[in-house]
Amino acid sequence: MEIPYTYKARPDTGLYNAKVGIWLFLASEIMLFGALFSAYILLRVSAPVGFWPDVALAWPRGLLNIPIGTFNTAVLITSSVTVVLAWAALKMNNFARFRVYMVITVLCAFAFLGIKSFEYNDKFSHYVIRLQDGKALTGHIEVDGKHPRFWNFSDQWSVAKLAEQKVAKIKVEMDPERDVHGHVKAHGSHDHEVREVAVSDIVFMGSYTPATHPFFAVYFLITALHGLHVLGGALVLGYFAFPGAKMWKSNPEQFINRIEVGGLFWHFVDLVWIFLFPVVYLL
Amino acid sequence: MQSTASHAHTSATDSSHGHAHHEPGFFSKYIFSTDHKVIGIQYGVSALLFLLFGFFLMLAMRFQLANPGKPVPLVGPLLEKVLGEDMAKAGVMGGDLYNSFGAMHGTIMVFLAIVPVLFGAFGNYVTPLQIGAPDMAFPRLNMASFHAYFLGGVVMIASFFTPGGAARSGWTSYSPLASVTDLVNRFDGQTYWLMGMVLLITSSLLGSVNFIATIIQLRCRGMSWMRMPFFVWAQFVTGFLLLLAFPPLEAAGLMQLMDNLFGSSFFLPQGLVVSGSPLQVSGGGSPLLWQHLFWFLGHPEVYVLILPAIGIVTEVISNNIRKPLWGYKSMVYSVMSIGFLSFIVWAHHMYLTGMGTKVATFFQTTTMMISIPSVIILTALFISLWGGSIRFNSASLFALSFLPMFGIGGLTGLPLGFNASDIFLHDSYYVIGHFHYVVAPGTMFAVFAGIYYWFPKITGRHMNELLGKLHWAGSLFFMNCVFAPMFIQGFKGMSRRMSDGGTTYFGLGVDPGVLKLNNMIFWSAIGLGICQIPFIINFFSSIFMGKRAASDNPWQATTLEWSTPTPPPHGNFLQEPVAYRGPYEYSVPGAKSDFSPQGDKN
Amino acid sequence: MSLKAFHIVFVAASVILMAFLSGWSFLAYQETHSTEYLVWSLCAASSVVGLVIYGRFFLRKLRNISFL
Repeated sequence: MEIPYTYKARPDTGLYNAKVGIWLFLASEIMLFGALFSAYILLRVSAPVGFWPDVALAWPRGLLNIPIGTFNTAVLITSSVTVVLAWAALKMNNFARFRVYMVITVLCAFAFLGIKSFEYNDKFSHYVIRLQDGKALTGHIEVDGKHPRFWNFSDQWSVAKLAEQKVAKIKVEMDPERDVHGHVKAHGSHDHEVREVAVSDIVFMGSYTPATHPFFAVYFLITALHGLHVLGGALVLGYFAFPGAKMWKSNPEQFINRIEVGGLFWHFVDLVWIFLFPVVYLL
Repeated sequence: MQSTASHAHTSATDSSHGHAHHEPGFFSKYIFSTDHKVIGIQYGVSALLFLLFGFFLMLAMRFQLANPGKPVPLVGPLLEKVLGEDMAKAGVMGGDLYNSFGAMHGTIMVFLAIVPVLFGAFGNYVTPLQIGAPDMAFPRLNMASFHAYFLGGVVMIASFFTPGGAARSGWTSYSPLASVTDLVNRFDGQTYWLMGMVLLITSSLLGSVNFIATIIQLRCRGMSWMRMPFFVWAQFVTGFLLLLAFPPLEAAGLMQLMDNLFGSSFFLPQGLVVSGSPLQVSGGGSPLLWQHLFWFLGHPEVYVLILPAIGIVTEVISNNIRKPLWGYKSMVYSVMSIGFLSFIVWAHHMYLTGMGTKVATFFQTTTMMISIPSVIILTALFISLWGGSIRFNSASLFALSFLPMFGIGGLTGLPLGFNASDIFLHDSYYVIGHFHYVVAPGTMFAVFAGIYYWFPKITGRHMNELLGKLHWAGSLFFMNCVFAPMFIQGFKGMSRRMSDGGTTYFGLGVDPGVLKLNNMIFWSAIGLGICQIPFIINFFSSIFMGKRAASDNPWQATTLEWSTPTPPPHGNFLQEPVAYRGPYEYSVPGAKSDFSPQGDKN
Repeated sequence: MSLKAFHIVFVAASVILMAFLSGWSFLAYQETHSTEYLVWSLCAASSVVGLVIYGRFFLRKLRNISFL
């Protein structure tokens, strides 16, 4: 006996096997991301006040680049539109158009990942510095005339490392001032004030990495996990667009089903971002 | 009644003449097989091996508890040689080794032995047969699920040999303890534990998607929802529990992994001081978060451990009482309500954390609610026995003794579900006794019942009845000798975490009689181990020398798995099966025999 | 649920997100009086309109393809 309903729908459920499978999988994914979002809420609600050195608040706000985040949101929404149009093109028996839409989808996915890695890089080279007088500075730093970047982990600086390398002074390109809601106070002037800080004045210094604050920990964990989903989805959709498209000749019905299942996963990944963006960037 | 036709012995080789079968090689047949029956056997064999391993860990721990500070006999020198001097100096278990054995005993038993044997082995082998399906809906996912499970097991075992030893923060891995046990070596046993868990979670995720999809999509013609055997219902609900409860633990595991490897502070509060010096982390995390996420899995997991067991017991009992199951529908609805309710009871494990009385009251109420459907199922099984002509073979003896044993386990849980009494009993040996009554004489007895019951279908031969009864009597006696004293110890306030068996308490005025029980438990555990020898002999010798099953349906059962050839060939059924009636039609008035198989037309 | 139905759900979620972004930016504008935020708010509001129009177009175009 062969396994039934691999691509034909079962009459009483109206579903083929893979569709049941993907929705069950998505249900468990909802629980996974739901747990992470709940963790975010719990950490934020229970964060001790005055913990984040930048403002008199428990939780850092306004540290993420909203224009870039919005652009990435638009990229993902576009990719969802193109993936559903690719599926519709197949349904209308237009393989060439399917491939064009699918390629756009995959390109959008990689654009998203590229922009995300640019953001990551920016965060890894962004520092918070707490001084002896209790005040805190945030911004990119300059050590010995060099700007540390993320791509090399040994470029991460700490007070201990500065002392070890006998650096006396560092320069900080200060971030614009923000109010308690995270809004930039005075807009318009984009050139950063540069301040020189003596290393002996620094109590604590840390880059915007998971070790510095639970906000970064949870931000990096959720976005990285989401990024892995984007990468996985892009690889599968890319496979369907080229090598996997052979099936269009041998079994078009099953091929269309595969695109639908891939599209469902892709929509889910984008939907996660639709929730993720306001929660970590805006609120 | 086509009894003569269906009872004739049809073997797999007869059936494959029609097909152009090419003989698969060793690897594709036994390692990379996509056949649900082979995968079920793979799961079963590996899970039983892990079970034995977990049992040995427990024996070493029980020895230490009964004789603190004495070298472990037989394996002591081996422990010292393999795990190093700091772990077992001169063959004496150190505190760290005891802790890691405790953590790994729990982990191995729950995640590598019981769940795989119930869900992976019995579920895989029996479920598709009972619903009349040719295989699982996604055979290759099924194979991947087993491989992920096996890899996870390898990672878990490998962690014993890492510097610093295996995870030793309990099977619950509470943070911050789990993150600060080894501050020097970041890639420690705990990290291995987390990676192993991620693999095991992946495995059960793939498995549960597969099970649910199979049960929804591949039921044969006529197999409506209410004609499904109760075992299938139990697997269905279990599938949902695994599907939805495991991901939060995966999230928590990733967070703890980040705490361990990248120095983040998901679960580390501010101002944490470890061995006298402040920990160099940002702080600001919440230890409660781990407990919430862990028990959100942890509690449904308990039902994952028991629901398939109840399913097996139901199958065995209904077959051996020769009368219809009493209250099949109420059992089905009960198992569904257990599934729903098990998601909202998790914080009854956390009464001592100071969540606040309102939250505690909520979880106390839901906990009492979930005991209702459990009692309905147990009651239905008890009432089913009424007026039946019960056959007392090994399988049914194990299944019948499951009922009172699980009853003890369930009833002793009620004081733990109440906030006020739990605060006294929390983290004492009472909890250990309660939980093990559910899982050891409960679930394990169901597993044994299932092995004796389905062995003729899988191998075509019966297991030896005499050895089976010996196994049953000894196990029942010693199980109770092992676990009943723990209740007394718990009432006396003995903590479950002491590597010296509570000798430290002795100075604080605890009745020394309670400590003497440690000795009794140890010797009973040895006795329990000895009682498994007849089973092991029986299991292996019966494969080759057991009495041949007289027909494809030696137990005269009604469910569909007995209308396949023995053992079932690839594709399971010779012709498309059809379910004509409910699963438990025994002694139907007017029928020619005392059982009416689901697949027989008249 | 078919991909078509899920796409409608997705577009609806996007509409809500854009409406939220628009409101958020407008509040920021009220606090900071920076025109940059006002522009953001208007852009987000117009994308709400755009997404709704797209959703209607999508439903019409795929009227004969798959069920909801």
